[in-house]
Amino acid sequence: MSVGELAAHICTQLRGRGIDVVLSGGSCVSIYSSGRYVSNDLDFIETDVGTTRQVREAMRAMGFVQETRYFKHDGVVFLVEFPRGPLAVGKEPVGAIHEIEFSTGTLRIISPTDCVKDRLAAYFHWKDRQSLEQAVLVADSNPIDFAEIQRWSKREGKADQFSEIAGQLRPR
Amino acid sequence: MLEAILGSSSSEKVLIFLVARDEGYAREIARFFSSDLGPIQKQLLKLEAGGVLVSRAAGRTRLFAFNPRYPMIDELKALLAATLQFYPKDLRDRLVMNRRRPRRTGKPL
Repeated sequence: MSVGELAAHICTQLRGRGIDVVLSGGSCVSIYSSGRYVSNDLDFIETDVGTTRQVREAMRAMGFVQETRYFKHDGVVFLVEFPRGPLAVGKEPVGAIHEIEFSTGTLRIISPTDCVKDRLAAYFHWKDRQSLEQAVLVADSNPIDFAEIQRWSKREGKADQFSEIAGQLRPR
Repeated sequence: MLEAILGSSSSEKVLIFLVARDEGYAREIARFFSSDLGPIQKQLLKLEAGGVLVSRAAGRTRLFAFNPRYPMIDELKALLAATLQFYPKDLRDRLVMNRRRPRRTGKPL
């Protein structure tokens, strides 16, 4: 099962129990770069408050075992985590949530534009060049709203850093 | 002062320490406030799990700092900075007036 198929399966199963989650983090880069970047962590953010116990029960019903913050499953290489929300990129809530159909269900995932912002946030704050590379991978393979990312960078107080790397994100 | 909001005096100690010093480790924070180490460690991990703090290893020490990607970080720091102003002056001074400039290895005190 691919990362996208597994994520869609979990998302759909949880939704069937009335729990709305959205995929965020490095696995979005995997999906949007068609596997050119590999992440074994699935980070789902709960959009509602107070569903932690229901999530735990649903994951157990799917055969996952909880170890500290992670859920593991025999034969599955991916670790599943539900980091505390809110669903945000930097200081702003994420924009529209995208839905992608897989054979295993429907995946709710942050948009390519928000995925680029999410990676850039790590680059801006920690100078993490791997995150910048991931942002470029996503921008290379997906339509992104360049002006929106520029506006967001300015709001984060990172306009100068954005102008240094903007050329890498522009469509080629 | 924020215990009623944060639900724990250890949480307040951790956050006030970090807003004053930018980063710190569990033993350092516990020693500063003459607190038990366990509750301080517990709060650091809880705040990290909640995305408020991040940590990194420095040798055998785990250093904690505010997560700049936490969406309400500016508002939280503003609240803590305002709270710090109401702390006793000697405590505030000890928190803020610590040596930060480098000291060459082997230099006598």
